[in-house]
Amino acid sequence: MLNYILRRGFLALLVALFVSFGTFALFYFATDPAQTIAGEDAPPEMVEEIRQEYGFDRPVSVQYVEWLGGVLRGDFGESYFWKQPVGELIKEHAGVTIILALSSLMITILIALPLGIGAALRPNSWVDRLALSIAVSAQAIPNFWLGLMVIILFAVTFPIFPVSGDATWLHYVLPALVLGASSVPAVMRLTRTGLLDVLSADYIRTARAKGFMGYRLIFQQALRNALLPVVSVLAVQLGHKLGGSVVTESVFSMNGLGRLAVESIFNSDIPTVQSLILIFVLTFVLLTLAADLINAWLDPRIRMG
Amino acid sequence: MMTTSETVNSPRFVAESQMDGEQVDTGLGLSPAKAALKRARRHTGLKIGFGIILVMAFFALFAPWLAPHDPYLQNLPLRLLSPAWVEGGEWRYLFGTDHLGRDYLSRIIYGARISLAIGVGAATVGAIIGVTLGLLAGYYGGWLDQAVNFLVTCQLAIPSLLLIMALVFVIGQSITVVIFVIGATHWVFYLVVTRSATLRLREMDFVAAARSMGCSRFQVAVREVLPNLSNQIMVIFTLEVAIAILSEATLSFLGLGIPSPMPSWGLMIAEGKTSMFFQPWLVILPGVALFMLVIAVNLLGDGVRDVTVTDRRS
Amino acid sequence: MRIHYPRRVGICLTGLLAAGALSMFADAGERSDTLVVALAMPLTTVDRLYSVQREGLILSQLTDDGLFHVDPESLEFVPLAAASYEWVSETRLDVVLRDDVMFHDGSRLTAEDVVYTFDWVLHKDSGTSRGPVIRGWLDSVEEVASNKVSFHLKVPYPMALRDMAVSVPLRKKDTYAEVGTRAVEQPLNGIGPYRVTNFRAGREIVLTRFEGYYQASPKANPAIENMVFRVIPDQGTQQAELLSGGIDLMLDVPPDVADNVRHLPNVVRLEGDDIRIGYITLDAAGYSDPDTPFRNLKVRRALNHAINRQAITEYLVRGSAEAIDFACHPHQFGCEGSGPVYAYDPDKAKALLAEAGYPQGFSFDLWAYRDKIMAEAIVSDLRAVGINANLRYVKLNVFSKVRNDRDMSAFFASYGGGGTADASAITGVHFVANTPRNYSGDEDLAATVLAAERTIDPEKRRALYRQALNRIAEQAYWVPMFSYSQNFLLSPGLELSVPKDGVPRLWQARWSH
Repeated sequence: MLNYILRRGFLALLVALFVSFGTFALFYFATDPAQTIAGEDAPPEMVEEIRQEYGFDRPVSVQYVEWLGGVLRGDFGESYFWKQPVGELIKEHAGVTIILALSSLMITILIALPLGIGAALRPNSWVDRLALSIAVSAQAIPNFWLGLMVIILFAVTFPIFPVSGDATWLHYVLPALVLGASSVPAVMRLTRTGLLDVLSADYIRTARAKGFMGYRLIFQQALRNALLPVVSVLAVQLGHKLGGSVVTESVFSMNGLGRLAVESIFNSDIPTVQSLILIFVLTFVLLTLAADLINAWLDPRIRMG
Repeated sequence: MMTTSETVNSPRFVAESQMDGEQVDTGLGLSPAKAALKRARRHTGLKIGFGIILVMAFFALFAPWLAPHDPYLQNLPLRLLSPAWVEGGEWRYLFGTDHLGRDYLSRIIYGARISLAIGVGAATVGAIIGVTLGLLAGYYGGWLDQAVNFLVTCQLAIPSLLLIMALVFVIGQSITVVIFVIGATHWVFYLVVTRSATLRLREMDFVAAARSMGCSRFQVAVREVLPNLSNQIMVIFTLEVAIAILSEATLSFLGLGIPSPMPSWGLMIAEGKTSMFFQPWLVILPGVALFMLVIAVNLLGDGVRDVTVTDRRS
Repeated sequence: MRIHYPRRVGICLTGLLAAGALSMFADAGERSDTLVVALAMPLTTVDRLYSVQREGLILSQLTDDGLFHVDPESLEFVPLAAASYEWVSETRLDVVLRDDVMFHDGSRLTAEDVVYTFDWVLHKDSGTSRGPVIRGWLDSVEEVASNKVSFHLKVPYPMALRDMAVSVPLRKKDTYAEVGTRAVEQPLNGIGPYRVTNFRAGREIVLTRFEGYYQASPKANPAIENMVFRVIPDQGTQQAELLSGGIDLMLDVPPDVADNVRHLPNVVRLEGDDIRIGYITLDAAGYSDPDTPFRNLKVRRALNHAINRQAITEYLVRGSAEAIDFACHPHQFGCEGSGPVYAYDPDKAKALLAEAGYPQGFSFDLWAYRDKIMAEAIVSDLRAVGINANLRYVKLNVFSKVRNDRDMSAFFASYGGGGTADASAITGVHFVANTPRNYSGDEDLAATVLAAERTIDPEKRRALYRQALNRIAEQAYWVPMFSYSQNFLLSPGLELSVPKDGVPRLWQARWSH
């Protein structure tokens, strides 16, 4: 087991490094950070000075290693645009994204699980069809458009929930709904299929047929078995909420990491983009690792094999 | 928006990769293709999806003759006209006009070209990359396989929207760039399927037989593996087309996709956002178009999968 | 299993909705002593010495005072922290300071502080945004008495008071001593009627009325105790917030939005002038590319004929905006160009292009960082005569970099000059030598503009400006587009007026209920 963790952990780190170097090189070749720092009215001499002072004229690998060294010490560099340490920026914005991700995951669970279970329990009934239609629709609706529709509805017709900002918990309701909706199809289908598989197993059918008293108990056991893969998928979904937060936070004007990332790309603010991509990748990789570990722990077969 | 790895983990896909190369037993004495077509004719979802796509493709293809106006023609005095069914609208401009006085109906029609082109283009690019890598990884194995696996893990871990945005920002905005960048980040699906099929095929006798007759490894791979995979690739292709269409819409909405003045539906939604409380049709109409196209593609994909493979859970 | 769920869930949801609805009303009515302003672009600093944005100007009028200020009624430069001033000679200005001016930290303003501030701005490494301009005319400042300073100019400069009013807020001695140019991060210690109590870059700035502010100032005793500037980059969000009472004032509202909102009961629209113009600069000198079509006079003139400035102004800019023909704002002193003027004539444009050797038109990148709709309209007009303009719409900092690198073949920009009613505000920034915004490469023109800035005699200045403006038009270095009209949206009950220079003086704002 330890072996497994170490191997996967090492792989995770390698992936993160590879991706972050890639983005670093990308920006290195394409932009001029010296001017961004200097500001719009700076004379060319000042820009050149800054270039030398910050060492932007050195080869890309050297700069990357230096940046990485800083990151390991906890220093993510300084934002070109905000003139603040990136670490602080991230701390300020992380809270919103974390809350959004968790609450949208909750929404996904609240919608997808009952639907999936209901659909599996009554295949081909109206519940099943409803569930499948919702899945098909939710997959086809552009996430940002759903957000806009929701905003129009709730800003003008039913002004119950605020449609922008992140000050109170109320502000998270609509964004969480919109972000959560995007994962509903996958989770619902997985629940449904998983439960259907389990329910068609022999021991369940026998128990049902015989009206066995312990049926309820066995059913709950079956549910647990069916939900195992769902749990690990949920961990992966949480990672995806980070990516989804980019759009949702932009549409609802929330001050989270997603919107910070978008703004930073437009601002050519390389240290921030760099650090955010690294954090996103690391988070996702760690969540996937957690998902694998959960699976391994719950299902002994994987551990042994 | 659905991402590649969500689909990798979805049960539909999982079922896919376990069912390659199986012959369809119709029990009716018909060839597999004919049996599939017969089932297709009765499959409602597939018919609806196919129908909608046909209509949209028709409009896209014949846009210059079907669109009532030039989608780029600016007419400032007539800007922000309401659709014909709202008070203040005119029948000449059925869907009203946008902030520069350009006919919205024409722009939506031409927008179908962009969505379809990018959808199909990006999915093709992804297919080429994914299938090639899958064949290579499956057949040559060893370090190549390890390397490709590593690439896959990286690809899945990247927040693809952010990376695409960074790439487009740096390279520049154009249809070609968007197609290639979206395609280059959505190939995992194809790879997984191709690779497992290739691996399986390695075991089989007729491969050994073909090799003993002097065919190179790669020739064998291509000739034997690909035809058996075509069903699955087709299904994946439709799925990826839908994903690509949504990706482009999101990118254009955020400002790093198709550049103005092209009538990308996502861009049109972004442009209409400032006045969305007062001229909501600017945002609603392109969104509905997107929704219909993507649902159609998904229905088509689901339908094709349903009719070409048996043993589905119902 | 799930039989009881729906009922329980239903009750919970109803409760939540009710709580939510009630909480929305909870804090209405508490804010008669606060004004919440929406900012579209985040301010990276509250220190006016280091920012150039218009919003920064509005903010700094609350937190900072200079020796002089622009009187909102007359648009003249009158003493503020200065008690009186005297031009001892054309190159020496003596200023007597008021003795009752206090910094937010409680200390008094003395001559030492004034000298320190100007020395800092003059210092070539301080990196202040207006440093280069001030260095152009100011040689040194010295303390003559504890309440008197003397300014020694390099050359006669009619806009000295303007620069001091608009660009040099007074700072306490040694403000930047320890932190150097990173002073932008420290809390602001100014002498204005409000002090900064909270600054979260990119999110919000909170100001509170400064009780130690000198009573004799025209800005004294502002009615509203607290001011909050909230960063809300998205227009739609700003609207939603205004409608729901989250903010009270929207600046720089696009005309479409302002028109739409006019119908709503809980929003008031305020329209005002704005001494700001929009224009397209063409790379006549060929800095970005020696083969650029814009080196050819006929091509530049063709662009002037191709764009329907009248329609764009009338339908897109609207309000009190006008199409302009010269590189200045009609309200500015010296804005009296006489010709040539290019009428909207696409056929003539095409003919000129053919004569210039581009019968099929050509392609180029048009850069812009604001007013996207106008930029798109321009692209459309050019397309109609065969010119394929590729719109590169980017953020201001990215835009500045490329422009300052002289890598643009053409750009669409606007300039307000802090609302100064003098032609030097615009020509002085765009057509003198050594400014990165000057793509004309015309040295004679630069000399003329410089001379106009060094002359005190108004008649001579007018003649020089006429000469310069006519030269710019004749050579079509620019496509002058339009003047701006401003729209503000206010919560009902907020009393505010907008002076002719388009800069709202928020210390005049008050709530009527």
